[in-house]
Amino acid sequence: MIDYFDLEASLSQEERLLVDSARSFVEGEIDDMGEHWIEGTFPTEIIPKMGEMGFYAPNLEGYGLPGVSETSYGLLMRELEACDSGLRSMASVQGALVMYPIHAFGSDEQKEEWLPALGEGEAVGCFGLTEPEHGSNPSAMETRAEKDGDEYVLNGSKTWITNSPIADVAVVWAKDHSEDDTPVRGFLVETDRDGVTTNKIDEKLSLRASITGEIALQDARIPEENRLPGVSGMKGPLSCLTQARYGIAWGAVGAAQDCFETAREYATDREQFGKPIGGFQLQQRKLAEMATQITLAQLLAHRLAELKEAGEMRPQHVSMAKRNNVRMARDQSRIAREMLGGNGITADYSPMRHMTNMETVYTYEGTHDIHTLILGEDLTGIQAYQ
Amino acid sequence: MKVLVTVKEVGEADDDFEIEGTDIASSDLEYDLNEWDDYAIEAAVQLAEAGIAEEVVAVTIGPERAEETIRMALAKGADRAVRVWDDAFEGTFADVSSKVDVFEAVVDEEEPELVLSGVQAADTAFGATGVALAERIGFDHAAVVNDLDLDADAGVANVHRELEGGIEELTEVDLPAVLTVQTGLNEPRYASLRGIRQAQRKEIAATDLADLGLTPADVESTLTLTEMYEPESDSDAELIEGDAGEAAGRLAEVLREKGVGA
Repeated sequence: MIDYFDLEASLSQEERLLVDSARSFVEGEIDDMGEHWIEGTFPTEIIPKMGEMGFYAPNLEGYGLPGVSETSYGLLMRELEACDSGLRSMASVQGALVMYPIHAFGSDEQKEEWLPALGEGEAVGCFGLTEPEHGSNPSAMETRAEKDGDEYVLNGSKTWITNSPIADVAVVWAKDHSEDDTPVRGFLVETDRDGVTTNKIDEKLSLRASITGEIALQDARIPEENRLPGVSGMKGPLSCLTQARYGIAWGAVGAAQDCFETAREYATDREQFGKPIGGFQLQQRKLAEMATQITLAQLLAHRLAELKEAGEMRPQHVSMAKRNNVRMARDQSRIAREMLGGNGITADYSPMRHMTNMETVYTYEGTHDIHTLILGEDLTGIQAYQ
Repeated sequence: MKVLVTVKEVGEADDDFEIEGTDIASSDLEYDLNEWDDYAIEAAVQLAEAGIAEEVVAVTIGPERAEETIRMALAKGADRAVRVWDDAFEGTFADVSSKVDVFEAVVDEEEPELVLSGVQAADTAFGATGVALAERIGFDHAAVVNDLDLDADAGVANVHRELEGGIEELTEVDLPAVLTVQTGLNEPRYASLRGIRQAQRKEIAATDLADLGLTPADVESTLTLTEMYEPESDSDAELIEGDAGEAAGRLAEVLREKGVGA
């Protein structure tokens, strides 16, 4: 894939091996993502295979997890999203949104119970934050937990939850009404408990090769030891999202690179007026712009990895990278689709699939606009969204 | 038992490539583990997982660049590796016997009971290293193996060999032995992230000829590359049209012209 400034040369041998291996895995194991996208299905048989590969939370240590570098983690997300945003979303949710909070805030028992199983893909997890009436402002959430003896009783509903219909466990964020000031707390809710239902959301026009659903909690009782002991308040869910958005900033580059390669190949093969369409200035301008924008996004992702590795990455850095790179992939996938003409609207080619996927990625994990306001606040010291 | 696997890094040319002197420009080559050696590694690692092999050692003849490829073999489960290189190999085109000289010395040092080798290399495609090595070190051998069932207690490898025309030979090979491995023996695994991490801590012993008790004269090649060129493609295909009777008539005519059945 396009790497105009030879950033791969800055990778360690270990990182290059990871790219090779992830690429072979995707090529060898994902049969036809276009077909899954059309059918609205996820290739669930690869969930344990991705676990065997160590694709879930590979940047975490212990519990059999590989503990790779932050750059490696980013590269992996890039390779997965070059195939499809649904594939990267699977790994993002399982790793950054489910395993990360258990690893960071869980008890030893919770870690023992869940991290190996989730890491191997024997169990699937999901992350319940967004509610039907509370998207960009999750701190206004209505889902509540109340202590009753040695149990918590949960009530509320969550929506737009990747993998909820196939999940074994949900990390549910709820306000704990048994505590003063009703702080937001994380709860591990097994989805087979009474009072828990996970309906699937159908007829999505974007991110179709990914399973999305709701979590409804009606007097769902969980043992008190299922609460994540190590965190209280919005920094719990927000710190998870920082991890996941980091992966998105990298993943979007992969989707755009795949669009670029498809468009370049098409432009050099497809002949009109007696020569390849890539020989015309209009198409060359598109390719030049696409290559430039991808390269800029790639540079941002690599620098973000260095900051993360050094412990100097701030959530605002991630906001800027996610905001820029997803917008870039959204715009450039459309240009790639355009270069393919009528052929570009079929599932035989990846750009339109990436293009529609990007509508989801543009809006989830903090909308583009909300990330704008996070940056605005960071730059002026004045909050615009309160 | 100890299993030695000979592996080679091979260069695959891009669709468009330049020829520089007697080689393809290195910027147009993508280096990778030879496909058939991948099957050999997988077979060895499966023997280790079955408790039959105690140690799997990969050996390659290649410059420093080849470390990345051999590291992939370690990431897939080989325990350690030996990389042989020497100034004497620079700019030369090694023949089968000079490679066998090197591998013979490595076998003397490692004393494996089983040597696995890809049936051929994707670049030079001599298909000779494994069997020539067996001859030299006095091991039994089987070439083009696509099924392997090893009975360590009896000291016998039961193998299927793929012969021409879809024929398979089922045979027994006494250990110690050299087997050259054909497509179909197994499906090589992908290197997992854990494997890749562990591979960073595994040894790749950089070894030169003196370390093996050899001299440049021992590995002198009888082969030299004299020229590299792209063959001119000559395409004058004739599409035979018409119904079956017409087409068969025209086909017979063409075959007679070419001297068939004369």
